[in-house]
Amino acid sequence: MDVPRIVRTQISTSELGPPKELLEGVNGGQVGLLEVIKALGEYLTSPEDDVRLKGLTFLSNLLKVITPSKVNRQATATLTNFYLSKLDDFDSLPPALQGLTILSKLPTFDDSAAVDVYKGIVENVNMKSYVQATRHLVYVLFDSLLATHRSALKEMGTAFVNSYTKMVDGEKDPRNLMLLFSIDRVILLEFDVKDHIEDFFDITFCYFPISFRPPPNDPYGITAEDLKLALRKCMAASPYFAKMALPLFLEKFSTSTGQSMKDLMLSIAACIPVYGAEAVRERGSELWEGIKTEVFYSSDTSIEAAALSAFESLIRTLYPTEKEPATGLAQDIIKECLAILNEPEKSQAMAATKILAAMLRASVSAGIFAFSQVFPQLFKQFNTPPLPSHRAPLLSTISSLLIAAQSVYTPESVRRQSQERSLEPFRGGILDVLREGLRTEGLKGPAIKGSEACVQIAGFWGREEVEDVVRGMNDILINDNDPETRAEAVSALTTISTFHPTVIEAITLPLMFHSLPDTAPPASDFTGRDKYRSILGSLTELCAQPALFQTLVIRVTTKLDLLASSSPAQDADDNMGEKLDGRECTVVYAWDLLNSLVKVIEQKTKAKHIDLSRYFDQLIPRIWTLVISAAGPRTGGDQPLFRDRRLLALVGRIGEQMIYELSSERQSKWLEAVYNAFEKGVWAEVVHAKAQVRLSGSSLRNGASSSEQDLIALYSTAIQGLKNDVRLPFDQLAAFLSSKVHWTIRVARDQWQVKYALDLICAFVNKREAELRDSLEDVLTNIWNVEVQDTSKDLEVRKRALLVYLHIVKALALLRAPLAYTALDRVIEILNLSNLDPDYVGYAASGFGILASGKGKSHLTAKLLHAQKLWNHVLAKLIAGDKEASGKDRLVYLVAFASLLPLVPASLCLSDLSTILPLILRSLSLSDPKQRTNAITTLTSILETASDSKEVDKAIHAKAVDMVQSLLKSALIEADVPSSPKVRIAALAALSLFPDVIRFEALHTQKSTVIKQLGRALDDPLRSVRKEAVECRAKWYRYGNAT
Amino acid sequence: MSRQLDNDNPTIFAPAHTSSTSRRTGSGAKALWANEALDGEDDVYLQYGAGDGGDASGSGSGSEEEREDIDAEEVYDLLRSITDPEHPVSLEALRVVNPNDIHVAGNRVLVYLTPTIPHCSMSTLIGLSLRVRLLRALPARYRVDIRIKSGTHQSEHAVNKQLNDKERVQAALENKHLLSVVEGCLATAGKRGEA
Repeated sequence: MDVPRIVRTQISTSELGPPKELLEGVNGGQVGLLEVIKALGEYLTSPEDDVRLKGLTFLSNLLKVITPSKVNRQATATLTNFYLSKLDDFDSLPPALQGLTILSKLPTFDDSAAVDVYKGIVENVNMKSYVQATRHLVYVLFDSLLATHRSALKEMGTAFVNSYTKMVDGEKDPRNLMLLFSIDRVILLEFDVKDHIEDFFDITFCYFPISFRPPPNDPYGITAEDLKLALRKCMAASPYFAKMALPLFLEKFSTSTGQSMKDLMLSIAACIPVYGAEAVRERGSELWEGIKTEVFYSSDTSIEAAALSAFESLIRTLYPTEKEPATGLAQDIIKECLAILNEPEKSQAMAATKILAAMLRASVSAGIFAFSQVFPQLFKQFNTPPLPSHRAPLLSTISSLLIAAQSVYTPESVRRQSQERSLEPFRGGILDVLREGLRTEGLKGPAIKGSEACVQIAGFWGREEVEDVVRGMNDILINDNDPETRAEAVSALTTISTFHPTVIEAITLPLMFHSLPDTAPPASDFTGRDKYRSILGSLTELCAQPALFQTLVIRVTTKLDLLASSSPAQDADDNMGEKLDGRECTVVYAWDLLNSLVKVIEQKTKAKHIDLSRYFDQLIPRIWTLVISAAGPRTGGDQPLFRDRRLLALVGRIGEQMIYELSSERQSKWLEAVYNAFEKGVWAEVVHAKAQVRLSGSSLRNGASSSEQDLIALYSTAIQGLKNDVRLPFDQLAAFLSSKVHWTIRVARDQWQVKYALDLICAFVNKREAELRDSLEDVLTNIWNVEVQDTSKDLEVRKRALLVYLHIVKALALLRAPLAYTALDRVIEILNLSNLDPDYVGYAASGFGILASGKGKSHLTAKLLHAQKLWNHVLAKLIAGDKEASGKDRLVYLVAFASLLPLVPASLCLSDLSTILPLILRSLSLSDPKQRTNAITTLTSILETASDSKEVDKAIHAKAVDMVQSLLKSALIEADVPSSPKVRIAALAALSLFPDVIRFEALHTQKSTVIKQLGRALDDPLRSVRKEAVECRAKWYRYGNAT
Repeated sequence: MSRQLDNDNPTIFAPAHTSSTSRRTGSGAKALWANEALDGEDDVYLQYGAGDGGDASGSGSGSEEEREDIDAEEVYDLLRSITDPEHPVSLEALRVVNPNDIHVAGNRVLVYLTPTIPHCSMSTLIGLSLRVRLLRALPARYRVDIRIKSGTHQSEHAVNKQLNDKERVQAALENKHLLSVVEGCLATAGKRGEA
């Protein structure tokens, strides 16, 4: 290899990175490093600055990339000396520093070399004359030396420390400071800095407090917070700072505000423990004065929090152990707080409470002493208050202290109430005030919170005390009129039930169930209904606990049985009003009872409780009995309660959830029973009491009554809850499917029954796609050719057929089965027939909404990316169709597009925004509010996720005006345009995003129009819409105002 | 602390617990049902297409929009979470505004505000914040009166005059600094009593 030639070429062409062949040569051992240096010789020593710089840079770049082991001891020494000789050369300094940094990391670089290099820099480099980047290189080298040869530098002693502080003095660049602060910290911690502490104080505390504001678009991404944290670590690195730092802190109290005050507090919190009790004690009361001001008068909660952490740090430092008597400062502070608490309703009393709570958190001895002083006074005030209004804030104070105690004595903490016994002397007093609070109007809230805290303090309360407060809370649940207080009590009881489930089971539950009425309150009894609803609401919260769920199941099913047997017979004719009342009220009550079961079951499924399947036999056959026996024929036109479809729907939902929790084996067994019931009319196995069932056969047979047909809800939900691998009680899957398709299209009486039948078909196909695969194509083609396309058939039949068709497509599309897409093409094709058969084609277009519902909360199987695949397939065809069509015929494509929108995640839209955004904007002019809501929802999620990409940003800014104008139209009620509260709320919520997402320049022309138009939305008939309008308008008022 | 506060230790009250959800919606048989029973998922795909036909059984458009009038509670909801200019506390917690001191009749709204101390120099500023909020949040047909609750402030009349004089309010809002202070107080207004 011709090394001199290579070097010459590189230098003369200013290509200063080492070429690959040279690098391989050196790494492979064919070329010696010295050989390269020799070849570089003339450049390295050239009198021309420019050439010399190139030579040096080339050398350093080479060093950077070669394998470290190729630089032997001798080469290291030679190179080090060579670079050292360049340090006084102004232009050559950067490459020399880089070279030295690389060398300093080599194993062949020894301690004496490190000292030489350090000295060389200190003697030859005048920092002030170099730019930031060069200074940075110096610090990087220092950092490297400190990392690899710390002990050698340490041995330099004074010489090192003195020169270091001079070198770094006056640095201002944030990037360099970040590095320096970390170096400073190492030196402060490791080196003997005691005698030089003043110099270090000068080079660190001169930056405090940091008031740095990064330039906009700062490429280095250093924030003020980064700098503050780094500096804070330096300041807290050495106890020797104490003497100078504490006066500085005290002085800053009077001049700092806002962010710098917060910084000051956090710095104090970090430094005091390092500076030590002795140093801090002298200035303790002065520190307290400063901290106090921020706790008592601060208008910013984050500063207050910082001040409290400084306070905790102060107390922790002064009273570190139990043995430290809480005398002096702590005593004064407690005295001060007690005086303030004499006016417990004032804002400073809250601050004093926070101080006392912080004291407990910070120190055992000060905490115990504080409690011993404050509780007796608080009890006395509470029991004989000068003003009755004092009691609520007093109890709040007590509760806050108990909550602080709870946060200290957690099971995870090392502190134990059983050891410290800080609350022990006040056991009786605390229970007394809490009990009193639980039964006194206005004191219940704080009493609940305090009791909840006490229960959770390990080793404090025994069972009797817990029972005591639980009784108080029960009373609130049953008798209190304020829903928020009741909610607080429920949440407290729920907490308690995790610690003492038996107490809740034995005391709370019986009382609550006892308070539930046996018959529905009459229509006029609004309070009665509110009351049982509130009790049911509380039970739903409580009974999700595995220990309490069984009681709920038993009690609720008993109530339902009672309602079913005593439900008022419905008179066939006269007295409409009365009839509606009595029966409707019972339906409502039964609905509420069932709904509480639904809610608990959903809660438990979400929390993955495994005990649900245990209650299947106890629950499902029982509630199925209610509805199945109700469906049977009755004499005299009697309408049993559980024929009501609203109740049937809930029973179905409970069934689906519970079946889904069963193992495949138990599912198979249950399915067989269900199959025999519905297909063969053998009902005995699915009900709890056979005697009550008066059905004479399958409820799906031709000629079954409407109420029997309604039982499809049970069948459908049972199948929806199945797992995919369940053993079926029949072999002919295709025949089963066709019979259900037939029933849906020809037999089902109305849309309610059709809906359940469709869900059944969809679930069945989705779960059994593999076994059905061969026959599905025929099934679909058959439906399409025979039912859908035959225009001579009844319109209702054709519509139902299309629904079945689309539900099968949906089941397949979720699995990404190819058949789904070819089958769907047929539907897309007929969209161009809208002038021939406008009704049916319009129906088909909005039918895409079926596909948009996706998996949802159902138990269907959905493969990854199913939405993407379907969307990509359909979108292209819809766009093509839209382009070919003209005039009104384009509308159906838009309807199909808008109906499908809920399917797609925002990320998918963002990737193709330029195509989709115009379509969405056009969809906003559709008349159906539902489709507009879809378009707005998609638009909202686009706006919410738009931030990262430049192109998206550009696209939404370009269309911002259009979007705002279209949205405004949907936000208002216009004559002749159908609207819904949903679409108006969605439009207003979308409009309130613009001020956050779109830069003001793009929309400043719209501000006044929007505000004016929104003025009309403020007068919307519905409260929920007005609320959205108010906040939206408030945002637009602020839009563009400099903050 | 840069400035002496007018009232450096005001009384703080627990929130008033008037949640806006307690209102009963609907009438007739609808009123019997729990709210969640009414806002359940309507069966999306069964009604589509039928919409124009008019035989849609469920929640079509049209009849469901029963008017819910703006009442005192709603006005209170708009005001309760405005922040006091001196303390990081809501006007609700200071009982500067109270649900019982708000009256709505027809197109008129009357709000009485109660300063925390009789010499409170912030009263006008608070009043101005209330006015700006209502100006922005109530339909234009409402005429709003904001008054100091009688007997709670030493210069009641002067403040009342200032707060209900259109020109003076307008002039105040053209003062950039004043407006930014008002905006600061209003920044939290959207919380409506939630923490």
